[in-house]
Amino acid sequence: MKLRAVREGLLLVALACLPAIGEGIYFRSKISWQSSIPASELVTVDRARAWGDAAIWVDARPDEEFARDHVPGAFSVNEDHWNELLPQFLPNWSPEKKVVVYCSAESCNAARDVAKRLRDEAQLKDVFVLQGGWEEWLKKSR
Amino acid sequence: MKTRILTFTSSIFLCVAARAELKWEQSTIDLHPSVSDKAAVAHFKYQNTGTTPVHFKSVKASCGCTTTQTQKEVVNPGEKGEIVATFTIGDRTGQQIKTVTVQTDDPNPTQATSILTLKATIPQSLDIKPTFVYWQSGEELKPKKISIKATKDFPAKNITVKSNSQNFESKVEPGSASGEWTIEVTPKDTSHPFGTALLVQTDYPKEAPKSFYVNLQVTNPPGAPPALKPNVPNAPAVKAATPPAIPKVSPSAGVER
Repeated sequence: MKLRAVREGLLLVALACLPAIGEGIYFRSKISWQSSIPASELVTVDRARAWGDAAIWVDARPDEEFARDHVPGAFSVNEDHWNELLPQFLPNWSPEKKVVVYCSAESCNAARDVAKRLRDEAQLKDVFVLQGGWEEWLKKSR
Repeated sequence: MKTRILTFTSSIFLCVAARAELKWEQSTIDLHPSVSDKAAVAHFKYQNTGTTPVHFKSVKASCGCTTTQTQKEVVNPGEKGEIVATFTIGDRTGQQIKTVTVQTDDPNPTQATSILTLKATIPQSLDIKPTFVYWQSGEELKPKKISIKATKDFPAKNITVKSNSQNFESKVEPGSASGEWTIEVTPKDTSHPFGTALLVQTDYPKEAPKSFYVNLQVTNPPGAPPALKPNVPNAPAVKAATPPAIPKVSPSAGVER
């Protein structure tokens, strides 16, 4: 009797595990490949705005989206035309400036990628990614 | 008890089987474009293994650099097809991961959304560090070094360095190994802000040698207005702007070996 109860209990535990295993297999392709950005490299809209003229804004979105609208004073630096756009941005940079890079929304990768290249290749310091991106900036501007 | 457990388990499996309709051959595709490729194309093949037609509601790429093409809007039971995702490389390097989110009219919400992943490893041609060197206004006229290494995917033997500015002097020295160089740049004057770009040209690929840029800048003194006027809101994109002007060959700067 006792053995039967243990067996049935184990069977129930195994059954409970089935959906979890199934979900793990089913969603294996939905694992996020985007490495999270360290908190020290992120900046909120409010904080970045408070920096005022000490901040320089970089729009990492494609040209068409930048042409439609962008943060006032922002420079377009995207990876589609990196070699053209970077030299236009750099004359406006100076060592004491903080660079705020944004793309469309929280989920986009472009800002993270552009920020990484500005840090690694151009070796700029104080490069931040805007939390929530352009969407958040618009929301805070309403 | 056993019968109940068996019925419960069977019903779960039956439900899962009934949902599984659009099957992807591969939901992740690895691509290895060559140095000269402008785009990387992934073919995500599928088959409707269910008993009812599947309608595509939307196919969205995670990045403006990726376009998608569906062959049909409705996939009938048993039918095969593919979604073609074209990733424009642009000036990107290294590993790029882009996703395509496919929404269908499957009543099961987990089955209705598929995420397809395109992983492209773009070969790096030249490793230039740093791509930007600067002197602060009034700084001593000291030379700064830029290291250049040709990667294993890019067997360049020679580089040519050109500058369109008389305000900087540049000198190229071969490195300790083949495919390595050091550029030494010195400004002639740091009393006022000034910027230019060095054009680095390789002898590879032979049919279309590649160009790279190293940006040089004498920066504004702290608190000074920017050298260029920033873009104003709603202004046209700066896409039309040209890359740094390709200079006439400056014999003192150009070195080949």
